[in-house]
Amino acid sequence: MTETPRLEVRGLVKSFGALRVTDDVSLTVRAGEVHALIGPNGAGKSTLIAQVSGELLPDFGEILVDGRPITAMPAHRRAAAGLARSFQISQVFPEFDVEDNVAMAVQARSPGGLDIWRSARRDPRLRGPAREAVARVGLGERAGVRVSELAHGEKRQLELAMALALDTSILLLDEPMAGMSAEESRRMAGLLAELKRDYAILLVEHDMDVVFALADRITVLVYGRVIFTGTPEAVRASAEVRSAYLGGH
Amino acid sequence: MNRKLWLNLFGLAVFVLIPDIARGIDEPFLVNLFTRFAIYAIAAVSLDLILGYGAMVSFGHAAFFGLGGYVVGVVGFHTADGSGILGWQGTGQALILWPLAIAICAVAGLVIGFLSLRTAGVQFIMITLAFGQMFYFILVGLMYYGGDDGLAIDARNTLPGIDLRNPVVYYYLCVALLFAWVLTCRRIVGSRFGMALRSLKQNRRRSVALGLAPLRYQLLAFTVSAAGTGLAGVLWANYALFVSPDMTSWQKSGELMAMVILGGLGSIFGPVIGASAFIGLEQVLTGWTEHWMLVMGPVLVLIVLFGRRGLYGLVVPARDHD
Repeated sequence: MTETPRLEVRGLVKSFGALRVTDDVSLTVRAGEVHALIGPNGAGKSTLIAQVSGELLPDFGEILVDGRPITAMPAHRRAAAGLARSFQISQVFPEFDVEDNVAMAVQARSPGGLDIWRSARRDPRLRGPAREAVARVGLGERAGVRVSELAHGEKRQLELAMALALDTSILLLDEPMAGMSAEESRRMAGLLAELKRDYAILLVEHDMDVVFALADRITVLVYGRVIFTGTPEAVRASAEVRSAYLGGH
Repeated sequence: MNRKLWLNLFGLAVFVLIPDIARGIDEPFLVNLFTRFAIYAIAAVSLDLILGYGAMVSFGHAAFFGLGGYVVGVVGFHTADGSGILGWQGTGQALILWPLAIAICAVAGLVIGFLSLRTAGVQFIMITLAFGQMFYFILVGLMYYGGDDGLAIDARNTLPGIDLRNPVVYYYLCVALLFAWVLTCRRIVGSRFGMALRSLKQNRRRSVALGLAPLRYQLLAFTVSAAGTGLAGVLWANYALFVSPDMTSWQKSGELMAMVILGGLGSIFGPVIGASAFIGLEQVLTGWTEHWMLVMGPVLVLIVLFGRRGLYGLVVPARDHD
């Protein structure tokens, strides 16, 4: 009954000066679950993601992966601990092509990073898994294109491919559909629904249709505080959420 | 076949044929000039490893150039007068002395890199400059080794079966080492290590999120770069038979950077062209006026403004640049 959640955040607090951007936030993400994090702009969603991914150190509280605390673990070791993330604003390698970008994710999780002699671009152990992840997000035909030449939506797909190639069990997706066309969002939503089986996903997203369609549970963040956690139906029904955020939707 | 391959083959052909050309047009001086091209090209290629592929702007790289040279100079000094150094009688054997000098430069690079890489950006430039200046003033203060005036070297180091006293032979040795070093650096930048270094340069935040720890990659690159620059210093000391603190001055570090940028950052081949063009232009301009920097300066500014990828980028298309 009490299965250990994949990802757990306990009593997280982060202040910038007098401003509490994360105020006693607790939540869990279970295997096979999409847990959506919603809230108005400035609610502290990205700050929370930054703490979970290790870019920011919380003032108080704990972050656990499979029950093991990773609160103070440096960011570069969290991928090995099971956390992969995508960024709200695409963070990619513009001078590399699509497959190179994803191959870097494969390389980062494999041993031998200090090999200074053998060609990385001709290594099937890197290129094989990279090609798979590229195909999975629907960029197969664009594998050889320099990333600086990609359209915005394609960069978002690439972000996801890099997270998948890390071969982790937890995905932190910070607005994966930001700036995508309706058609691209629809495809991305389909892909996320498919990924749900294999991952625990913490999803920050503004598109409410997507959130309500995909999420198993939703946490509503307002001014750094969790005001509600529950199923999409419960969130829709909650008067508190409506008045604070949804504005009568 | 693409333009990159043609350009590289053309460059190689010029380096290989120059002694014959020099003999043909009766300008033996050309061999000396091209020896200098090759030596500085080794230093520039080394600097490109960290500057072009790692965005580490080292403003003190001449320290390694000077250090490599002074190892040859100081060991030569003690070997010649029979006093020995630290209980070792010294040697003139290149096969012993040169790897030793390169190893010393690598260790110095490791230490300086480790301390400097705690910073980034402008602070990194300033701290590497400070280390370079430290070397410079230590050498100026070493009166025993000539201080400001530098140190003359009695004879070139020796290789079994090869007469390095012959300028053409020495030239070919420098070209062979340049060739080997360029190929080595090409392998390095295409390896897992090289790809990680380039990832860190393009997007540090993403690289860290993927699980790459920046310091180890940057530090290894800095160390390899220092070793390569040290080799250039060793070759210079043997070429000029003279070392002086000027080899480690900040102007020299600036010249090395100018060569890399002039030739084309992040291409390995480009800095070979950059070093040749820089020294060639310096040679021509100093024949006209001692204020040659008045011409060189604007040329550099124009290249940086209009040819973002340097001289190499004028010929080689962007997708083949790296």
